[in-house]
Parts: sequence; structure tokens; C-alpha cells
Amino acid sequence: MAVKIIESCVNCFACEPVCPSNAIYEAKPHFLVDSKKCTECEGDFPVFQCASICPIEGAILDSLGLAINPPGSLTGIPPEKMAEAMAELQSH
Amino acid sequence: MELPVLNDAPASKGGCAASSCGTTDNQMDSLPDSIREKVQNHPCYSEDAHHYFARMHVAVAPACNIQCHYCNRKYDCANESRPGVVSELLTPDQAVKKTMAVAANIPQMTVLGIAGPGDPLANPERTFETFRRLSEEAPDIKLCVSTNGLALPDSVEELSKHNIDHVTITINCVDPEIGAKIYPWIFWKNKRIKGVKAAKILIERQQLGLEMLIAKGILVKVNSVMIPGVNDQHLAEVSRVVKAKGAFLHNVMPLIAEAEHGTFYGVMGQRGPTPDELQDLQDSCSGDMNMMRHCRQCRADAVGMLGEDRGDEFTLDKIEDMEIDYQAAMEKRKVIHQAIQAEMDGKRLEKAEKAQLLKQEPKLTTRPVLMAVATSGQGVINMHFGHAKEFLIYEASPDGVRFISHRKADQYCGGDSTCGDGESTLQLTIRALTGCEAVLCSKVGYEPWEQLEAAGIAPNGEHAMEPIEEAVLAVYKEMAAAGKLDDAKDSVRASA
Ligand code: SF4
Ligand code: SF4
Ligand code: SF4
Repeated sequence: MAVKIIESCVNCFACEPVCPSNAIYEAKPHFLVDSKKCTECEGDFPVFQCASICPIEGAILDSLGLAINPPGSLTGIPPEKMAEAMAELQSH
Repeated sequence: MELPVLNDAPASKGGCAASSCGTTDNQMDSLPDSIREKVQNHPCYSEDAHHYFARMHVAVAPACNIQCHYCNRKYDCANESRPGVVSELLTPDQAVKKTMAVAANIPQMTVLGIAGPGDPLANPERTFETFRRLSEEAPDIKLCVSTNGLALPDSVEELSKHNIDHVTITINCVDPEIGAKIYPWIFWKNKRIKGVKAAKILIERQQLGLEMLIAKGILVKVNSVMIPGVNDQHLAEVSRVVKAKGAFLHNVMPLIAEAEHGTFYGVMGQRGPTPDELQDLQDSCSGDMNMMRHCRQCRADAVGMLGEDRGDEFTLDKIEDMEIDYQAAMEKRKVIHQAIQAEMDGKRLEKAEKAQLLKQEPKLTTRPVLMAVATSGQGVINMHFGHAKEFLIYEASPDGVRFISHRKADQYCGGDSTCGDGESTLQLTIRALTGCEAVLCSKVGYEPWEQLEAAGIAPNGEHAMEPIEEAVLAVYKEMAAAGKLDDAKDSVRASA
């Protein structure tokens, strides 16, 4: 069982020092989780530490491949509002 | 007749210099001598010093421990930098090299700040290693740091060990209900916390950190982002609270929110303040707080003097190849700093003398006027209209000339209804100058000349290389003599 960091990661370093298992490392093009080391924070914390500080929605997935921080959960921007704004920008 | 020039730092305390008595804008009136001394030649605090000295930032601190609604973490910390900017992340070693390379080549650079791209104190190892090494290897550089405050109480002890000149805390509110509309979450004690509870913790930590720094004798500046409809009414209260605790400057910056930055405020259509609203708030706060009007919301990794960016000369591969003999550079810097100091002192004295002389003369009764100035430093008008990336705004009135603010040439494209598609840079610039009745620069091209006139802003290239305040005064007197100032104009408030 391990979490996974995907390409939307912005390389902000925030998750790396908070991992109790030293499972996160800097890599190109983005940070990665060593799946052998990740304990999902079991025994240390009740919540995934990396996903509790990560500012980017969708950047960290749980072992089922689902975003731990789904769209809108961190920024408070309703996903449809975001889509609208992006569509608006594209049309320019 | 002539008018006194306001808002420069009085050369000494005692006696009421005409330039500071009774005005609300002098930042240093109420400061104790020890602080006044520190502040007087500081590019960030002293209005005239920022024409002569420069500061730079290094981006060594990528992580952040909170979220602000005006920030998109794909970019730099919006507290110190402009939104939508990405700085090159440096290791502490690279940052030290870069700082020393810049200091050796641009002797006017006297202050080094760590301001991002995240929160410096959320990256204590990287931030403090940079400070530790610079305190040792380049002791003539003052260090400063800015923070959202959450980790501040834990860092005060360490900060007090380095060459720290001042700490900037961004405090947008002292009321958790308001805070909840600005900060969606914080990371605190191994948990992500949201809402009013999060804002309450953040506010407590900011205030505690502020108190601890003051107790240690470290200078504290407070930044606030003005968010219309959210905290604009509340910032006077913030001013009162932080001043009572001993912060020596309060700097109100405008919210910059654009949909394309992908921030909460940008996407949700929250607007930033107009230049007038910002000035109104700065005026209303300045009654009970030292206000810093010349803060430029500088780009976090910009290098160089007012209005310029020489960052390209100091990219990573370029500094890699530079051999810096810092001992030698430090000697040179010292000589140059003394010369600049002598020049500044001379000019301050001159201004104070003129102000004294002019006090006796009869006072005009005309209304105040805002003017924009294009300059690249040295306190003179020396920039081409089309090259200016930002303008200095001055107010001329029967009480004299005072500096009001910086305006970025393209800052006020608010993405709102007044912002048509494909507005040209020239149109944007002219809109940024709303409220000004003249623009003084070394030269103005034909096309901008016509459009400026059409917008009611008189272009003026007659005062190239002249000291700013004198030129503004001269233009004001011309306008008065031409009878242009007898009418009450709506767009100009009698604010002085
Ligand atoms: S879930 Fe916990 S153990 Fe796994 S990478 Fe994240 S912080 Fe480390
Ligand atoms: S906190 Fe998120 S965005 Fe930052 S490095 Fe870790 S995964 Fe990437
Ligand atoms: S403190 Fe700075 S980096 Fe952190 S969210 Fe706020 S603006 Fe962004």
C-alpha cells in the first residue's frame, strides 16, 4: 500500500520533510514516492502527511488511484467555476 | 513663489522641519532614533534611499504551510512577489553565490531578502543556511525575510542570531471570521485545518510572532493585501493593532487577481482595488501608522535598481563561472556607499533648506494634482515614457510635493468589464495613470503623446534629468499660473 505523486505536482518540496517514512524524494520532472517505503503513515499519523500539506489538488493519489484532494477541496473553487473560467480564457 | 518638498527623511530630529510638520505622510516622524537610523538609508523604507540603493531576493524556500486565496502555488508567494511569476529555485549554496556576485557587481545592492517562492520559515533549513552563510561571508549585506507568520514563533530565536535587518509579516486580518474568507486552510500540527479555526490559529501565531520579534528588538514591518469587500474596512483596525505592538511600518498592497492566475479570487471574479481606493485606504491608515507608499511589490527574484531588472546577468550558469573576491568587493562597496550617502545627505540638506526658505512665501490656494514620473533612480526624471515599466506617482498641492505610490504600467488590467479584449500596452499604461493630470518623463513618442492628451494627461518631456520634486513643483506652478487649477476636479481628492 502506498500513495503516488503524479505529474500535476509543482515540486514545492512541502511533502518531503513531513513524511514519517522518508518515502518521498526529489526527482525529475516531479517528486516521487518510494512505494516500498511508504507506510501510508500507519502507526505514525491518522492522515497521510504528504496529502495534508500538498497544495495541489489531484497531485497525490491513494492506493486505489483516486485523488486524495479532489478538485475544489483545497482552493474552494467549485470545479464547474474553474472549468468556466478556463474555457473563457481559451476562447480569447 | 516656491513650495516645500514633503516626505523626505529629516536629517535629524529636533526642530520641526517644514517638510514633516503636520503632514500625515512622513513615514518616520514617530520613530525612535535607533530605528530611524536603521531605516533612513534603507531602499525599502526610505523614499529617497530607494532611488539610490537596491535590494534583491533569492528564491530558496519553495514550500508553504498555508493557502491564501490570492495565491496559486504553481507560482511564487503572492505576498511578496507579483502573481503569476515563477522564480528560479536556488539551493542555499547557489543563493549565496548569486548574492555575492550581485553585490560585487551592483554595489548599490545592500539588502538581501528571502521571500519565497513559498514561505521562508516553512523551509527553515534552506532559509537559515542561506542566512548563516551570508552573515559570515558577506557581513555588509543586510538580511530580511518575509513570512505568513504561522511558523514565526518557532523561528524567532534562530532569526535573532543572524544579520537580520527586519522581518515582514503579512497580516491581512485580526478577525478569524474575515480570515476564513482569505485563507482556506493551514497545515498545523500534522493536520490540514480549514475555516475559521484555521484562521484563528494563523492570526494567533502572527500576533505572537510579532510580539516575540519586538521583544528581541528585531524590526517588524507588516504587509497587508487590500481585498475590497473582504478586509478593506478592517485594515485600519489591523494598522492599529500592529502599531500598538510595535511594528514600525504598515504597507498596504493592492490585491491583484486575474482569472488566468488560477487563484480563488481570480477565478471567482474578486476584484482588486482601484488606485484611488488604495490611496484612500493608505491615507486613512497613515493617520495612525507609518505607511510605506513606495513598496513596489517587487518581483521576488528581480535584481537591480528602481524600474530595472538585471537578473539575466546573474543566471545560474553565469554565476557559476564568476570568480568573486568578496573582500576586495567589500572595500569597493564601502567607498561607493559613502559617496552615495554623502550625495543623499547633501540633497536632504538642500531640500530642508529650500523648504525653510519657502515657508515664508504666500501660499497657493489651488487644488492638489497627481502627476506620474518615469525614472530609473537617482531621484531625477530620466526615463523614456515607452520604456517605463512603472511610474512614481506624486501629489503636488499648495503644501508641497509628496510621493504617493508606485504604479505598474500594466498592473490595473483587472479583467473586469472595463477591460476590453486586446487592449494595447499603451492603453493599459494610460489606464494605470488614471487620476494623474500630467506625466513627466525624459521623452514621449508621438503616438503616446496624442493618446495621453486625449485622456486628459498632459505629457511633459521638458524636465529631463531634473530632480523629481522640483520638476513636479515647476509643472504644478505652471498649471496654477495658467489657471488650470481653479476648478474643483472630481477625480482628484484633496487628500494631503
Ligand atoms: S502517505 Fe505518509 S508515508 Fe506515504 S509518502 Fe505520504 S507521508 Fe510518506
Ligand atoms: S507537496 Fe504536492 S506539489 Fe509539493 S512537492 Fe509534494 S506532491 Fe508535489
Ligand atoms: S503564504 Fe505566500 S506562498 Fe503561501 S499561500 Fe500565501 S501567498 Fe502563497
